[in-house]
Amino acid sequence: MSVLPLPKAQAAADPILAVDDIVMEFPTPDGVVKALDHVSLSVRAGEFLSVIGPSGCGKSTLFNIVGGLQRGYQGRVSIGGEAVEGPHPAIGMVFQEESTFPWRTVLQNVEFPLEISGVAKARRQEMARRFIAMVGLGGFENRYPAELSGGMKQRVAIARTLAFEPKILLMDEPFASLDEQTRLLLGDKVLQIQQELQQTTLLITHNITEAVQLSDRILVMTYRPGRVKRILDIDLPRPRTSETIGSEAFGRFVAQLWSDLRDEATRGMDEQQELMRNAGRGP
Amino acid sequence: MADTLGAPSRAATRAAGVLGPVTMVRIAIVAAIVLIWEAAAASGLFYRDVVPSVVAVARALVRVLADASFYWHLSVTMLEIAAALAIGGTAGLVIGIALGGSRLLSKAIEPYLYYLGPTPKIIFFPVLIMLFGIGPGSKVAMGAISCFFPIVLSVAAAMRQIPLVLIRVGQSFRAGPWDMALKVYIPAMRHPIINGFRLGLGIALIGTLLAETKMSNRGIGHLIIQAYALFDMPRMYAMLIILFAFAIGANSLLARAGKADGTMG
Ligand SMILES: Nc1ncnc2c1ncn2[C@@H]1O[C@H](COP(=O)(O)OP(=O)(O)OP(=O)(O)O)[C@@H](O)[C@H]1O
Ligand SMILES: [Mg+2]
Repeated sequence: MSVLPLPKAQAAADPILAVDDIVMEFPTPDGVVKALDHVSLSVRAGEFLSVIGPSGCGKSTLFNIVGGLQRGYQGRVSIGGEAVEGPHPAIGMVFQEESTFPWRTVLQNVEFPLEISGVAKARRQEMARRFIAMVGLGGFENRYPAELSGGMKQRVAIARTLAFEPKILLMDEPFASLDEQTRLLLGDKVLQIQQELQQTTLLITHNITEAVQLSDRILVMTYRPGRVKRILDIDLPRPRTSETIGSEAFGRFVAQLWSDLRDEATRGMDEQQELMRNAGRGP
Repeated sequence: MADTLGAPSRAATRAAGVLGPVTMVRIAIVAAIVLIWEAAAASGLFYRDVVPSVVAVARALVRVLADASFYWHLSVTMLEIAAALAIGGTAGLVIGIALGGSRLLSKAIEPYLYYLGPTPKIIFFPVLIMLFGIGPGSKVAMGAISCFFPIVLSVAAAMRQIPLVLIRVGQSFRAGPWDMALKVYIPAMRHPIINGFRLGLGIALIGTLLAETKMSNRGIGHLIIQAYALFDMPRMYAMLIILFAFAIGANSLLARAGKADGTMG
């Protein structure tokens, strides 16, 4: 009787990114807001993990903690077993807000992380051009962000983070400002790049189709305080074509996520309304 | 044409050889001032030569501009102002970044800056003379102290206006403090910094000239006070006009620097 409990144990022993028991509270004038409540997750090397949850559930807070930009939390974040104390060279972040530098051209924006790490000018321009082409912005190198559409700016931000060549790509709703078609196309593009560069990806989103289309696993969060409600394995074959998206299995995942999120979103809206009513009544 | 609704662009107006509306208004204002001035001079209501005729001022202007020694005095003043702006501006920029970046420093120090800001800096002049002598040194110091205040306050305020996400982008790429200052903070504040320097330029000019009128043997301020002592009013006005022209020129140069990336409009 020597059956080795291999696959599961190995997968668990091999997380490149681990988040253990994170609690984050924000002091506000109306008392303490608990944004994250004992959240744990682990991402395996090369995996595409999505975190999905209703607005205000603490996704961006989690994103900033993993990126080393938010302090004052309880718990532990580690990369390859090593605790993360601040921005880590293995992590590249794409932010939810519009984040291109308006005083830099597209090329100069994408060169930014390479400038910081001291890459020589000719080499870094060559690299930047490659990543700009990857996100489909070849020809726009010398434009300023003010001359681009919202979706193009977001692609500049993605190219800039790719130029950092991170092992782990963290993205906070990077496609939120895009229309459905562009969102699908760019999602595909990112997936393709991720597989090419063998990156591990943690995507934060509230778009169900996007999550199912792209992910190996999806982590569903509850509304405040943010907790892990469920982790779904998306065992659909890759590459996921438009046929896959139309399939019954795909639809089942979407339906499952829909019902999970509907409960949470409803709870969130009710809570917010209650809060407003109480505030309106006054002391 | 694409924009049939909008007014014709400035470039188009210029290409057509017609002056833009802004230029027209400016010319009209200058013409009105000249006319009112001339009317006042001709009316004889004012004491002797306090309001000399435009012709007399123009003649004095030509005489001043033809005088080689005037240019030496002018260059002294210009260099003093440039040095004052460089010193006061750099100090204002560095301290402004420190104040804007630290809530503690800003709470501890900024209130004093707000009180000192509007104080006439000429009260420091006797001390500055003792410290830097009666030569250009004390004038530069006066100008530097004067322009330091508007620049430090506008930079400190601008630091707090930088979108948090841009700072986070810099941090996520592991930029050190030096890279953060040079590649994120300063470029993100380019418009308020340039506006601060434009404001500072005017104030450095006032500070430097004021110092020159008090105790000195060179510079435009010295010439102006000399003309005043001799009651040569046309000459005094001629020099004020030249000074104005320089201030406007320097100001528009600074303004142009802020438009380099096409995002200031
Ligand atoms: N700096 C802060 N100070 C106080 N409260 C904060 C702060 N940052 C976030 N919060 C609160 O924490 C909760 C989670 O915010 P977070 O931005 O992480 O939500 P989110 O899931 O990213 O939402 P969205 O999908 O709308 O971006 C919210 O209730 C928010 O009000
Ligand atoms: Mg968010």
